[in-house]
Amino acid sequence: MATLPGQVPASPARARAQSALAGIDWWLLGAALAVSGFGVYVVKVATEGDVPGDPGYFFTRQVAYALIGLVALFFVLRLDLDRLSRYVWTLYAILVASVGVVLVLGSSARGSTRWIEFGPIRLQPSELGKVVIAFVIAVVVVERIKSMDSARLSLLVAGVTALPAGIVFLQPDLGTALVYAAIALAVLWVAGQPITHFILFGTVLVGAAVLVLYLLPALGVNVLQPYQVDRLTSFVDSGADRSATGYQLEQSKVAIGSGGAFGKGPSGATQTINDFLPEHHTDFIFAVVAEMFGFLGAGLLIAVYLIIIWRAIVIMREAATELERLLAAGITAMFAFEVFVNIGMNVGIMPITGIPLPFMSYGGSHTLTNLVAVGVLLGIARRARLPGPRGA
Amino acid sequence: MTSFAALALLLFGVLIARLWFLQVIGGGEYQERAEANRLRTVITEAPRGAITDRNGKALVTSREVLNLVAEPQQVGGARSTAALRRLSVALDHPPGFFAAKVRKAQEARPFEPVVLEEETGPELQAYVEERASQLPGISLRAAYVRDYPQGSTAAHLLGYTGPIPAEQAEQYADRGYVGNETVGRAGIEAQYEQYLRGIDGREQVEVDARGEVVGRGVLSRAPAQPGETLRLSIDLKVQKALEAALREEVRGSGVSTGAAGVALDPRTGAVLALASYPTFDPDVFQSGTPREVRRVLTAAGRPLLDRAIAGEYPAASTFKAITAAAALESGLYTPGESINSPGSVTLYKTLFRGFNNLDHGIINLVTALEVSSDTFFYELADRSFRRQGWPFQDWSRKFGLGRPTGLDLTEGESAGLVPDLAYKRRTCDRATDPINCSWRPGDSVNMSIGQGNVLVTPIQMAVAYAAIANGGTIVTPTLGRAVVDQDGRVLRDLVSARASRPLGLKKENADIIRQGLRRAANGNGGTATPVFGALPRSAQVAGKTGTAENPSGIDHAWYVGYAPADAPEIVVAVVVERGGQGANAAAPAVCRAMSAYLGFGAARCGTGAKAN
Repeated sequence: MATLPGQVPASPARARAQSALAGIDWWLLGAALAVSGFGVYVVKVATEGDVPGDPGYFFTRQVAYALIGLVALFFVLRLDLDRLSRYVWTLYAILVASVGVVLVLGSSARGSTRWIEFGPIRLQPSELGKVVIAFVIAVVVVERIKSMDSARLSLLVAGVTALPAGIVFLQPDLGTALVYAAIALAVLWVAGQPITHFILFGTVLVGAAVLVLYLLPALGVNVLQPYQVDRLTSFVDSGADRSATGYQLEQSKVAIGSGGAFGKGPSGATQTINDFLPEHHTDFIFAVVAEMFGFLGAGLLIAVYLIIIWRAIVIMREAATELERLLAAGITAMFAFEVFVNIGMNVGIMPITGIPLPFMSYGGSHTLTNLVAVGVLLGIARRARLPGPRGA
Repeated sequence: MTSFAALALLLFGVLIARLWFLQVIGGGEYQERAEANRLRTVITEAPRGAITDRNGKALVTSREVLNLVAEPQQVGGARSTAALRRLSVALDHPPGFFAAKVRKAQEARPFEPVVLEEETGPELQAYVEERASQLPGISLRAAYVRDYPQGSTAAHLLGYTGPIPAEQAEQYADRGYVGNETVGRAGIEAQYEQYLRGIDGREQVEVDARGEVVGRGVLSRAPAQPGETLRLSIDLKVQKALEAALREEVRGSGVSTGAAGVALDPRTGAVLALASYPTFDPDVFQSGTPREVRRVLTAAGRPLLDRAIAGEYPAASTFKAITAAAALESGLYTPGESINSPGSVTLYKTLFRGFNNLDHGIINLVTALEVSSDTFFYELADRSFRRQGWPFQDWSRKFGLGRPTGLDLTEGESAGLVPDLAYKRRTCDRATDPINCSWRPGDSVNMSIGQGNVLVTPIQMAVAYAAIANGGTIVTPTLGRAVVDQDGRVLRDLVSARASRPLGLKKENADIIRQGLRRAANGNGGTATPVFGALPRSAQVAGKTGTAENPSGIDHAWYVGYAPADAPEIVVAVVVERGGQGANAAAPAVCRAMSAYLGFGAARCGTGAKAN
């Protein structure tokens, strides 16, 4: 990793290493690894008391996830996207089938399940599905943008997105379904679809939300479970909300606010350590950062996320092919949307939708997905920057 | 594409602004809330001090019990609701019973533990301990209740404890009470609250979200300070003897509505016994049902009334000692003078009868006290009326009548009444009976034998006779003797600060009265000789019977006396409502109290027979 561009290789092994790392966007990789490393550290200090007798339970697992993700990152980096696009419908079918299986298993089990279990490995297909859906939509758009009427194309993309997103929503996992929608909208936007389509999509989404949250319950039809309605609406006035969600949000705000300007340090963060803040290693890990490291630490973290998004936009602009450009747009949207909505719900300005914080939140599928997405972006950048045949 | 970057910058700018608002501007407030989350003050109840008799025998103690308590911060969730429901059902309450109790208590005091069940038994304790993990926020907590090892003995003077009454919440808050304490509400418990109260211990601990103490554990600690032990001047055996005697007199008579008695050490004013009948069980106010409490409060016999200090009765012939002192000191009577004392006399065209119209012949003051002649004192009243001044009133007040004695039960003592011209003017009916608005000869006549409007309490008579017994000092009666620590070392002497004052009775005059009182209990014609005549010389009694006219029925019986007559150590006053003649009902009770104190057998007390 110490090899920098421009250094003279001294041995064949070094030469291979250099060729593997040539054209890497160091800003993006550095920022993603920095946040991932910080995430592992925060998971460690936040969860030391969570599993009796095993202070490293979450820490060791998250280290393993990050290492697996890193391997996947370098594998994806070299993937030939054009060749992969031939199997786009196979990929799509696998996505729909896997989230469908989870839905069926989940409804037979009690409540919500997001995982498929293979022995000791639990996979959350809807997570990796974020990258898959971005790729599928990018391919669909690239292949039809010239031949198909723009309205029909938007409708087709909406349909392609809505099928897996709908299944994921029913799992129920509203947050991930919304990420799918954000990815689709970003791809369509960058593809240059007319603005009227977005106004229409926006109207439909808002209308659906109003219908599901307010109109149908008033008529006695409850699409969502009561706790889901609580989660979506409690950010409006968490103080008045005595439900578990209202408690969650209040404790998050207390954790963040009590961090003050410079934080209380890992050992003084009593909201986290004494467990007043639930989900402190997953969806509410940002509140942990804010409690431990204050406005300074939390602000720095946001700044690093901005670097990641800045590099993602740069890579999108540099992309050598339209497919890669649209795929980069989808992934950029995924990161930006997840970071904003997650931190937004931590600080109480967004509904609680169960979206994890990229690179920080504990979780195998989630960590893997984020690093795979970085790998895709790095591959796009490399192919645009290196001379010679594509996919070198 | 720049729209992407612009949107990202805008949204992240919003996040940064929100963070600034929460952390930098609102940081202080949220820090306080985080502290409130993590810090909990655990209060350990301090036991209230014990109350003992003069020899250290326990009258009231504190007993530790385990209450079933719910922590308010932890009984919000669905799991707790289910736990409360299970508990309600397990204890045979309606399912919502405890939840409603918690809700109600929460409204009044949001952050304090809620007592679900007081004084849990072993069965419930085992139930809770076995299911501790299923009962989040619910635990057994040590508390103290008052224990009365002597039952209802001395109930009136001990008083009882209870919660701080709502209307006095502010006064208690000023004295450092939180508001949920148990405090003395009556009697000694209230009078000496400042010594008896314990100071609850406070521990500040760090807790996690489940309310369990974590890591750094106890952050600060102020241990519970038990209340101090209060030693009274009461002598338990005298108290018990007096109470038993009163109970038997009242029950035996069949018509009596109550009785009261006081025993003092005439040298110091130390109260040896203070009894009133009917009595009550002080435990009712602590663990009785509302119905039982109501029954005590509204019972026809008024058991809560402490007749020994609040009961006002005509003094009757026991007052003759005061009349005698007034006559001797103001020159109405010359020592040695004999006065004709027939069965009745006519003064100012009015016939005044003596008791049973007995003709005692020509007798002196000593004999008049011995046989309790009424007409002898009518003559003194006539002389008093013809002269300037108010010797009867003046000497009544010198003896301490007409106002509380200053006993250390400041709430509940009655003043009694010394009738005078002002009283008559205040109470007469000018329209129908104008002549009664002046002091009339009959008033002096009635007053001379303690009738008319004279009203006294048993403790006032005990103090008055103590002054005769001790050679002329009006003592202040005291119940509290000392505040002591666990080992019995005196921390604070409560007696030495008590005031006493000289009565101003000349020794030779006091001797005459004492001689009369001694003969009244021992002489051939003595009214109480049948009761006291057989006592050993070392326990010889001097005293006076009284039979108080009761406008609403049978006469009240009085006896006031002291012993040993030569060097008095105890003075006892007893009144038995509707007891009839003093020698019959009251004197035997006095004798029994004295026997308990002086150690002679109660069998040597006679049963009484003779006249007033």
